[in-house]
Amino acid sequence: MTPAMEHGALRSQPLIQLEAAGKSFGTNIVLDGVDFELRPGEVHALCGENGAGKSTCLGLLYGLHQPSAGRILCDGNQQLIESPSHAQSLGIGCVFQELSLAGALSVAENIFAGRVPTRLGVVDWPELRRRAEALLAEFGLDIDVSMPVDGLPISSRQIVEIAKALSLNSRVLLLDEPTSALAPDEVDALFDVLKSLTNKGIGIVYVSHHMAEIFQISDRITVLRDGRRISTLPVSETSQEKVVAEMIGGAHPGDVTRSDQGGGNEVLNVKNLTHPGEFEDISFSIKAGEIVGIAGLMGARRSEIVRSIAGLMHGATGEIRLHGKPVSFASLRQAMRAGVGFVPEERKTEGLFLEQSLSDNLIAASLSEHTSVGFIRARTIKAASQAAIDAFSVKTSGITELVGDLSGGNQQKIMLAKWLKRAPALLIIEEPTKGVDVGAKFQIHTELLRRAAEGMAILVVSSDFPELVSLSSRILVVHDGRLMGDVAAAEATETTLLQLAAGNSVPSVDATQPNQSGVAT
Amino acid sequence: MTMTAQANLPMKPPLLRRVLQAFVDIRELTLIVLIAAIIIVMSNINPYFLSFSNFRAVAVGMAPTAIIVIGMAILLASGGFDLSVGSVMALSSTVVAMLLLSGMAIPLAVACGLILGGIVGVVNGVLVTGLGINPLIATLGTMSIARGIALVLTEGFSVSSLPASFAWIGKADIGGFPVIVLFTILLVILFDLAVRHTPFFRQVYFIGANEKAAMLSGIHVTRVRIILYALTGVLAALAGVLLASRLMSGTPTAGNGIELQVLAAAVIGGASLRGGEGTILGAFLGVVFVALINNTMTMLAVSIYWQMIVIGGVLVTAVALDMLIRSKRG
Repeated sequence: MTPAMEHGALRSQPLIQLEAAGKSFGTNIVLDGVDFELRPGEVHALCGENGAGKSTCLGLLYGLHQPSAGRILCDGNQQLIESPSHAQSLGIGCVFQELSLAGALSVAENIFAGRVPTRLGVVDWPELRRRAEALLAEFGLDIDVSMPVDGLPISSRQIVEIAKALSLNSRVLLLDEPTSALAPDEVDALFDVLKSLTNKGIGIVYVSHHMAEIFQISDRITVLRDGRRISTLPVSETSQEKVVAEMIGGAHPGDVTRSDQGGGNEVLNVKNLTHPGEFEDISFSIKAGEIVGIAGLMGARRSEIVRSIAGLMHGATGEIRLHGKPVSFASLRQAMRAGVGFVPEERKTEGLFLEQSLSDNLIAASLSEHTSVGFIRARTIKAASQAAIDAFSVKTSGITELVGDLSGGNQQKIMLAKWLKRAPALLIIEEPTKGVDVGAKFQIHTELLRRAAEGMAILVVSSDFPELVSLSSRILVVHDGRLMGDVAAAEATETTLLQLAAGNSVPSVDATQPNQSGVAT
Repeated sequence: MTMTAQANLPMKPPLLRRVLQAFVDIRELTLIVLIAAIIIVMSNINPYFLSFSNFRAVAVGMAPTAIIVIGMAILLASGGFDLSVGSVMALSSTVVAMLLLSGMAIPLAVACGLILGGIVGVVNGVLVTGLGINPLIATLGTMSIARGIALVLTEGFSVSSLPASFAWIGKADIGGFPVIVLFTILLVILFDLAVRHTPFFRQVYFIGANEKAAMLSGIHVTRVRIILYALTGVLAALAGVLLASRLMSGTPTAGNGIELQVLAAAVIGGASLRGGEGTILGAFLGVVFVALINNTMTMLAVSIYWQMIVIGGVLVTAVALDMLIRSKRG
């Protein structure tokens, strides 16, 4: 470890530090007195569940938010980071989980967005090309840098995004789930690049859900839970089990007990469902009272598959049977009439009417139920809304409150309640607890399990593997539009699912490993 | 091995197909072909069409629109939008005329007019970025306010009897070519090159394509947007000054409805209200195309009322064809 020794002298002075940093949005405290430091040449992983405060930490370091308590130090000096461009000028680069590229512009221009090389005031195109090619060559990515980003597969776009952050000659690199769209060999290439960067003394903050990756690449690990720092330890002094235990905490309300599921009649049967260019040969079935999960990485086409079943996407061939009868829905409306409910992933853009009241949102999918002789009946709406608020313990000032003013978790509950109200025979739900706090997650899980116990068949698409393991009876794993496996939840571990999701058809190592939830309970 | 590798390469389509594809893909080429077609057909129908004096009249007539479309095309590329350009044109033309009547020197009066346009632009920019008002609503407001100020200042009358030397800008020739036209062409070329090759204007496409990504890339989105609105305001004011010089009067009703002509021309020229695309050359050719269609219809003695219907039809057809091509390509 010569490089580490070389930088040993520098280690006393962190590149960047959070000191008792706190952040609240309105009354919602998302970060509370967090200490964090990044030394030159280290990879410092940030771990925590959704909503633990990882993204907020990155936001503070990249100038997206300013701390409402505590302070930020750069090279030991107090520093107010005003904006992303300010952060960049301080040598801080960031790669976000959501892709942030301009699709119509060329790869080269995207990498150097806002900082293109110039000669005599005009863009120096040959130089721009040369630099972009040189950067991408480090990843072994040989593409025409003058082609528009739209023409690239997702994994290449992710690499362009990382190249963009590196093009700043950053001393501090913030990476938020950088491998979520990468294939295993691309992950290896990325890690090689990261190692060469740390050898140059660059510090890297690494946020990821993948424990194995974290333990492969990190020097130190800081665990956050509910906006507080739980621990900061060198990798050698901790273990995956310990980190997971710290992330979850002692009294973890997210553990819901799965009663025995299934045994009912078959509700949905899908055979050889194929959509050219999207997915191929998907076959599975769900019984009444069963929760089936669909796992996969970004771009695995999970959403396309369920949307084809719900009549939101057209052009798929194959057979879909609902209660044994072949169906082919031309629209969601038709699917709804046949007893299918669909809760979309994006609650803000697809699922809710933010400017409308809570009760208006609740009845949006069941208007006819609250109508008599052409008029909406206010009284039944009031009763139904109150019932939904009680069932989910929604924190609200009343049924007339605008949904946009509720917290994310409460919005998610309203979106779910809107569909549960219709009591569909088959409920399809995407990312049921994306970006919600632990308490809301528990309530949502409990309600889903209760409905399943009452006989509802539920199909859950989720990127949260532990959620799938604790919620479903079986998990379908999709990779690049193909069904890689149908795993019984009792035998599923995060590693098995990840291997399958990454496209490795045989889960080689995990067959004998005890399952996580089994150990926990 | 090499054989199989080659066999896997996508087949190059035949040359003719590729050329045709380029004409469909590159809006500038499509428009040049259409413009050439109009000229060829019309010159056979009416010999006067091809005359120098007709082209001169068309060119002088479209100069203000062509100057304003520069600003509008850049704004559209950034995802912005400005309805106030016609009113700014009227406001600057009347204010410059009034300043000249009060005895102010021509360069100073013109400068004041342009600065005024810039100020309206900055107001638009601040309303849109700072207060987050939708550009359609914000500029609808300033459109009404600027027009109102021009009407209040002049009590609705044109301001004439301007000093004779002011006529030079709008009426002078160089070798038979009107200065106003040469100046417009020069501006179009300069801005087209600037938008293609300068770092500042390249940022515009990022903002238009993905505003959040632009911000996260360290681009000062707010600052760039305000500058673009200011630039559009200055260009609209410039069009107003040139119009005042050509007509030798400041007219508070000038440029009424020009914002829609400018928008139509920019969209025909390849700009999109979604932002992130379009070029100055394309927008300019859009203006030329619309002007020639109007000229053609005038020559064929089509009533002015029918001309509006035809231009509307051309706009919708252009956008519909564009959507069709896009959706086919997926």
